[in-house]
Amino acid sequence: MAVARDSTSSTRFAQFKLVLLGESAVGKSSLVLRFVKDQFDDYRESTIGAAFLTQTIALDESTTIKFEIWDTAGQERYKSLAPMYYRNANCAVVVYDITQAASLDKAKSWVKELQRQANENIIIALAGNKLDLDGKRQVETAAAEAYASESGLLFFETSAKSGENVTELFTAIAKRLPLETASSRQRTAPKGVDLSRPNRRAPAASNNGCTC
Amino acid sequence: MASASSSKVPAASPNTPPDSCDVLVYGTGLVESIVAAALAWQGTNVLHLDPNPFYGGLWASLNLEELKAWTDKINSPATNDTPFSNAYLYISRNLDPRKYAIDISPHVLFTRADLLNLLIQSRVSRYLEFKPLGSFHTFEQDSFEKVPGTKEDIFTSQNLTLLTKRSLMRFMKFVVIWDETPDVWLEYKGKPISLFLKEKFNLDEPQIVELVHSIALLSSPSSPTELALDRIKRYLSSMQVYGNFPAMYSMYGSGGEIAQGFCRSAAVAGAVYRLGTKLSSFDDESGVAVLDNGEKIKVTEKLITSYGLLPSSREITRMVAVVEKDCKEWFAEGESAAIVVFPPETLDGNKYAVQALVLGSGSGQVPLGQAVWYLSTQESGEQGRKDLFLALEKMEESILRESTEDFEFDVSEEDIAYLPNGMPVVSSVRLGESLRNFTPKESLKYLLKLTYTQKVTVPPPQPGSKTIYVPAPSIDIVYDGVVTRAQAIYEGVTGTTEDFFEVDFEDEDDDATATGNPPDTSIGDVADIDDEELGDHPDFDEEVAGEMTI
Ligand SMILES: Cc1cc2nc3c(=O)[nH]c(=O)nc-3n(C[C@H](O)[C@H](O)[C@H](O)COP(=O)(O)OP(=O)(O)OC[C@H]3O[C@@H](n4cnc5c(N)ncnc54)[C@H](O)[C@@H]3O)c2cc1C
Ligand SMILES: Nc1nc2c(ncn2[C@@H]2O[C@H](COP(=O)(O)OP(=O)(O)OP(=O)(O)O)[C@@H](O)[C@H]2O)c(=O)[nH]1
Ligand SMILES: [Mg+2]
Repeated sequence: MAVARDSTSSTRFAQFKLVLLGESAVGKSSLVLRFVKDQFDDYRESTIGAAFLTQTIALDESTTIKFEIWDTAGQERYKSLAPMYYRNANCAVVVYDITQAASLDKAKSWVKELQRQANENIIIALAGNKLDLDGKRQVETAAAEAYASESGLLFFETSAKSGENVTELFTAIAKRLPLETASSRQRTAPKGVDLSRPNRRAPAASNNGCTC
Repeated sequence: MASASSSKVPAASPNTPPDSCDVLVYGTGLVESIVAAALAWQGTNVLHLDPNPFYGGLWASLNLEELKAWTDKINSPATNDTPFSNAYLYISRNLDPRKYAIDISPHVLFTRADLLNLLIQSRVSRYLEFKPLGSFHTFEQDSFEKVPGTKEDIFTSQNLTLLTKRSLMRFMKFVVIWDETPDVWLEYKGKPISLFLKEKFNLDEPQIVELVHSIALLSSPSSPTELALDRIKRYLSSMQVYGNFPAMYSMYGSGGEIAQGFCRSAAVAGAVYRLGTKLSSFDDESGVAVLDNGEKIKVTEKLITSYGLLPSSREITRMVAVVEKDCKEWFAEGESAAIVVFPPETLDGNKYAVQALVLGSGSGQVPLGQAVWYLSTQESGEQGRKDLFLALEKMEESILRESTEDFEFDVSEEDIAYLPNGMPVVSSVRLGESLRNFTPKESLKYLLKLTYTQKVTVPPPQPGSKTIYVPAPSIDIVYDGVVTRAQAIYEGVTGTTEDFFEVDFEDEDDDATATGNPPDTSIGDVADIDDEELGDHPDFDEEVAGEMTI
């Protein structure tokens, strides 16, 4: 996560890493696609191609939040998610399919994993997806909501297909993120090298460099 | 061969395991993971397995629970598929196992390296965080000397005579264009670099030692001239690519962490991942692989495996120590890493150099206030362990001296020299002497100590026609050869390297700023930098001379 103030105005930018978890085919990638590109694809195959998307939302006139969204790329399918995936994640969306009762059990086990192993301040949202298929519903809203509130999760029922509640979900996460403390929580450790900015040439040799 | 036009999506439905693939990759070490990603992006249907529950294979970085299990495994007589053995592990009580990431084959990345270019080109660098490594020390006469790796360092050094400075400057001018000027070195091809430096550039022993062991990071003074020149040039041209440091390391672990990045990239391109899955058998004729759970998989093209290599007689020795000290005394300002080299004959007759990579908590490998020391030598057996323990002792003495705050010593006027700009500096020779007389009152707390050996492995003499073996990581602390090996394996599958990571990432988001361009590694570029730098010092030689009058 990084927070910076624009020098020309008082706009505040913060960047957060968001990871998606949930059983295969619950609509993780579809939710991201809806959020980032406002698209939906009925015949979407398992995640391929884009697995690293960014989306910026303006919380208010002075605050802009950039999500760096990591999709599992299918590595969770055989319990082979890399530790790299969770590393330094600020927020997680755990998705289930309201038409598949078993997918909520799977979601609960992911929540448990996250609470056990991830950053202790991680913000977790539970999303019951495919709200447009209300007729085939197997998971009652009240039951999921009760579970979410006792586990301290944000809760939304969403439809990546119709777009219902998708922006609301991500905005609610954004509002929970610890903006105030973000800069003070910056690690004192040295910052990573920005690989996109090689010096095109060595800077002029300085004569006053101290080699003591 | 699977053609590039075939679908990138494995045909299997998401929850049933695929029963066939073009290429089965076994092991998630760095080389195999690069190959898996390259093949997946090219359109090959890849199934990637690892018998371990973690990524990285022989390159893995492990938390303390994993490390314990790993040492038990490599020590077990039943284990015959790993080049590691003879592990002795001590872990102090009450450590949080998840706060550690211990590298079993630590590596550092020079800023001019084919692997870095590939990381940027493949966009895998976006999954990783690299930190600077600018601090290289040589152990000489009981103290750690900072390596003068730039012209400025040489220029301002208090320890070098004018003559030595001139010779060094002459050598540094040559080495950046060494491959264009074969007349200078061709007669030394295959001969020891130490001989070349002495005869051709009149360099003295201390400078030779620094160039060969601390800058080229070679283990023996008889390393071939052309290899050493290449590596010295790489060090120099790596300076200032991203800042005042020639090398970097990836956070949370080296090769295993980078391998994870390539695996994720492969998965994005459709490769299927299953950890903790053993390959029970592979029939090279039919291409049928049988997994430990009884599943059969038909492999239509190749099996690429990092298992099944045979141990040779050569062996190397490694040691890891976690200490309760941040070790910032050894790091450059704002950094969290250093390399310390003990050249041959500095540790009671050691034949090979001992290299130590020191990482502080900024590496994400140890908690705040601690550091991890990775030591290695090409020496084997008892001698190898003895060399490493001696080096450890020297490091311990040194860090205790340097980190003791109430340490005072007298500086007399003759110990102080002045830089051309008038800045006073204390002669580091004098500093070293005084430090040697200092006996530490404090002792160093070791939180973890691990020694183990690694056999150099070779592929079986008669590999099957469908099987390609992946070599184990070498003891070299740099990633040299990794990309070349991955490309050779890729070529073994596809018949060409032309489309190796020739990926059009139009599917991915167009956040171009996160991507960047690989640094230009052309020789011309290096030469240009050099000329311009010299241009800023039209009277460089005079300045050097001027400084010497102090
Ligand atoms: C479901 C799940 C599975 C996980 N599986 C693994 C796994 O298989 N292997 C694994 O190593 N981690 C795993 N993790 C842990 C995760 O990668 C980090 O531990 C987590 O990001 C801790 O962040 P922090 O800032 O709260 O921790 P802090 O305690 O503040 O950690 C300080 C720093 O050290 C890093 N760090 C902490 N623990 C580790 C660690 N074990 N290895 C390397 N760096 C670390 C953190 O990312 C952080 O930058 C898993 C986490 C979850 C939720
Ligand atoms: N009706 C309906 N279908 C949806 C919705 N969201 C996703 N789908 C469909 O569900 C299927 C799976 O969606 P994905 O987004 O690929 O699911 P995923 O969780 O990313 O799956 P994996 O990548 O395999 O882990 C696709 O056919 C989508 O079109 C939704 O809100 N409503
Ligand atoms: Mg998906």
